[in-house]
Amino acid sequence: MARLALRGIKKRFKNTEVLHGIDLDIGDREFVVFVGPSGCGKSTLLRLIAGLDPISDGEFHLNEHLMNDVPPSKRGIAMVFQSYALYPHMDVYENMAFGARLMGLDKAEVERRIAETSQMLRLDELLKRRPRELSGGQRQRVAIGRALVRKPDVFLLDEPLSNLDAALRSEVRLEIARLHREIGGTMIYVTHDQVEAMTLADKIVVMNLGRIEQVGSPRELYERPANSFVATFIGSPKMALIDVTRDGDRVGIPGGGTIALPNQLAAPDKAFRLGIRPDAIKLTRDPNAEGFKATIVYQEYLGDNAFAYARLVNGTMIGARTLPNEIYDPDEAVTILIEPGQAHFFSAEDGRRLSA
Amino acid sequence: MPKLRMTGRGLWITVLLAPPLAFVALFIVYPIIAAFAYAFFDWQGLMRGEFSWLDNFHTVLFVEPYASWTRNAFTHNIMVFFALLVLQNGLGFLLAYALWRDMPGARFHRVAVFLPVVLSTIIVGYLWKLFLHPLFGVVNQSFRGLGMPWLAQPWLGQDSTALWALIFANAWHMVGFPTLVFLAGMQRIPTEILDAARMETQSEWVKITKIVWPLCAPSATIVFVLLFVGAFNWFELPYIMAGLDGSPYGSTDVLGLYFYRTAFGNVSSGQQDFGLGSALAVLIFVFIAVVASIITVRLRSREIEL
Repeated sequence: MARLALRGIKKRFKNTEVLHGIDLDIGDREFVVFVGPSGCGKSTLLRLIAGLDPISDGEFHLNEHLMNDVPPSKRGIAMVFQSYALYPHMDVYENMAFGARLMGLDKAEVERRIAETSQMLRLDELLKRRPRELSGGQRQRVAIGRALVRKPDVFLLDEPLSNLDAALRSEVRLEIARLHREIGGTMIYVTHDQVEAMTLADKIVVMNLGRIEQVGSPRELYERPANSFVATFIGSPKMALIDVTRDGDRVGIPGGGTIALPNQLAAPDKAFRLGIRPDAIKLTRDPNAEGFKATIVYQEYLGDNAFAYARLVNGTMIGARTLPNEIYDPDEAVTILIEPGQAHFFSAEDGRRLSA
Repeated sequence: MPKLRMTGRGLWITVLLAPPLAFVALFIVYPIIAAFAYAFFDWQGLMRGEFSWLDNFHTVLFVEPYASWTRNAFTHNIMVFFALLVLQNGLGFLLAYALWRDMPGARFHRVAVFLPVVLSTIIVGYLWKLFLHPLFGVVNQSFRGLGMPWLAQPWLGQDSTALWALIFANAWHMVGFPTLVFLAGMQRIPTEILDAARMETQSEWVKITKIVWPLCAPSATIVFVLLFVGAFNWFELPYIMAGLDGSPYGSTDVLGLYFYRTAFGNVSSGQQDFGLGSALAVLIFVFIAVVASIITVRLRSREIEL
């Protein structure tokens, strides 16, 4: 059982405030991913939850107990570090046994838990090795194992895959998803990689500049981003944001063409931002088609599909998914067609989502 | 065979290397070899006599009064070593830990702890001789001023306290060195490893003994070996503070003083014996070299790469 409640959490280093009041609830057995660009405060927030850094302001409750002044080792929380942070002078067995013994478990129980964990993580053969004698993926598994043997209520994982190569990364990602299903603890996972966030999370917390931008399921974030930051952060290539002005039920770029409003829009704004994902855009060479005028900049070929990037007359770059055999040349003039019902609207002033 | 040709660069290197090499050969290598040789001859003052095999070694180790002098001095060196191991290296480790954990005022104390190390031993010796003066010294004045007159002892003047006073002065002088070496060692420990330990225990004791200490092993090797060599070569401080005789009554006599006295004579006895002196020097040298090598090899084996 683990329910976390963060209320108005602030963190200051000297005079710089890096977290400006975080409110968040995390339910039992949830897999929550903190995602955001570097410096957004996601790792800082994780360290506050772990207790490694003191909370400057606000309250953190774990199962209704105030945790602010509880030392890290007494919180029932285990953490997997980015660098794995294995004890270099202990072998794999000792690395896992160290924390378990400090919890006051007897010898037989420690042995039982390590046997169980090392079997689950395929570490049986490696128990007598020192961290230096292990590969990156093996170290990663030991770091996870060290957290598992303590049977914590909450697992914290700080960018656990960032030191692995691409092939290993997707393998370990599956492993972590499987572990969460099997052991069922509450997991909080920090990453800047949106693919990790989308594939692993029950709930994603998107952070930027020390604030939470949006909390929601991967589908919610992708389909109904709360603001233009979340809209462009989730999804690759990123959503294009086009500044448009409205005239009745038509929108247009000055000198760049007009189109019929693709979705219903109740908000009265005259000028706003149109957000379009690459799959909602079609390119055509027909100069008379009803759409925005653009010039091709370059095209990326990915085998199963391709992305073309084009510049609108107002300078905005947009990415569009094309068929892999549809070739565009740089500087070619195209018209951009937008699929009806696929547009997002954001306020031109503060970027928040405008009601449909 | 490749021809050796003198290039401009080679010439420079030769010119720069030759003087120090000559210096080392003349004043370090030659005396060591000479001392080895001298130890096997019978000496009348500065006059070399017959080759006497191992007689000198036998005399300093087994013939009275030399044998008990040697034993006395050697015992004191051992005491100095173990006392400094605790007072200097042990305290240095704890100081380093405190400085490393960035307690308030850590910046100031880092400088303060290391400052005495840069002072010359001569200055420290005379300074502490003044501090420990039985009547006017700041130590006894302070004890009297604090209402603890029974602690106002003639520290350097009685055989029960003199050696400890010297050990204390030495620890005050040098504690900054192991502190600095340990601090450097601790700063090499990745912070995430310490964070990982903090997730598992809040006990400073566990963190120090199970994580920090083992990971500081390379620093420990350095200060341990250097202390061992220093303790058995101990000379300047006792020479300045206690004199060549290790006064009072030989209670501060150590191998360094004893060797110097035997080889070169002292104020009260003009007797010089290069043979016995050299034999002592060779024994000290061999003892330090052998034990220090064993210690180094043993300690190295428990070091791990971070």
